[in-house]
Amino acid sequence: MSAYRTGDTLARRRFLTAAALRGATVIGTGALSASALSTGVLGTRVAGATGTTGVIGATALGAVDADAAFAAPIRPLDPAVAESAFAEGRIAAINGDVLEVAGSYGDHSRVRITGATSVWKGRATTAADIETGDGLYARGLPLPDGTLATDAVWVNIVNLHATIRGIERTRLHLAHGQHEIIGNLMAERTSAAYGDASPTADLSRLTIGQSAQVLGAWRPSDGSVDLVRVAVAPGAGRRR
Amino acid sequence: MACGSTKLWNGEATWFCCGNSWGPCATTGGGACGTCRSSALHAAWPNASKACWDITRPDLCGEDIPRRGCGSEMKVRHDCSGASVCVTVTDCGPRTRSFCSESTCCDGVCRTNRVIDLTPAAFSAIGSLSTGTLPVSIFE
Repeated sequence: MSAYRTGDTLARRRFLTAAALRGATVIGTGALSASALSTGVLGTRVAGATGTTGVIGATALGAVDADAAFAAPIRPLDPAVAESAFAEGRIAAINGDVLEVAGSYGDHSRVRITGATSVWKGRATTAADIETGDGLYARGLPLPDGTLATDAVWVNIVNLHATIRGIERTRLHLAHGQHEIIGNLMAERTSAAYGDASPTADLSRLTIGQSAQVLGAWRPSDGSVDLVRVAVAPGAGRRR
Repeated sequence: MACGSTKLWNGEATWFCCGNSWGPCATTGGGACGTCRSSALHAAWPNASKACWDITRPDLCGEDIPRRGCGSEMKVRHDCSGASVCVTVTDCGPRTRSFCSESTCCDGVCRTNRVIDLTPAAFSAIGSLSTGTLPVSIFE
């Protein structure tokens, strides 16, 4: 893992530390219901279907939407702990609430999912969706036991500059460097961003040959990418 | 140039992967400077060299971004949260010309044109990877 300095409020650190000490979330069980996500309970203690009690959404002290929870960088509460940290790699094993992560340079990280960890895997979700073999970026604070207590993990997230080479009803063919990538179009999930306008579900202005920035979730099983957002230049594909 | 407080530029920050990695990023390599790593506080700058400039062409979007080569240090500040991170230039990018006039806003603050690409470590230090872009100011 690498370390960095950030500048933000202390409140998030307090909450994260408390959540880590409580060890609230159990991976692989106790998935919290979708209704909990949509009924405004983010940042509060909720009871999962299996009886596991967790805290989702990462903050009880500010924003209650998922994007804001991911966006808020943390900084250590204890002045002696000067740095926050980052880890990346493939998940080699899942032991309770700790992800054993094989780093891309042969290093190894132990990434702890706490009750305050925001999880993204194609969308804001819960730790129950994390699987062995997934790729991961994690942001958090190092604990004395050597684990990284995370406030946010992004699972299989990719953000690629590509060229659209083909368009089908359910997928895009993308050229990324010298490689072809299949981009899966997901009903009601994939959006297009045409420059300065808000992302839209209207994909009709995507055209072959366009340069595009594609943000999505990589599928380790087949190497394709579930497309979340396809951004192209303003005016691209506009009908005259 | 160091990670200081002299205003250099502002615009959109995006993120990219480099160095050894997983998934589609596994083949990206060490970037124009050969040392870029996703897990380090690194950045790509559109005018890291003449050859780089010829690829990114920010001038086509009205951005006459100054030359800052490999090893240059910059401070990147999120224009809404105020969170900042110090980065080292290790690659060429983003391809500004492909997204002329694109803008990213937060709390009524908007920045136009892609002017810096951050590694996942650097981008996540000041924002969420899932947003894709951030409005930023850059200092040196």
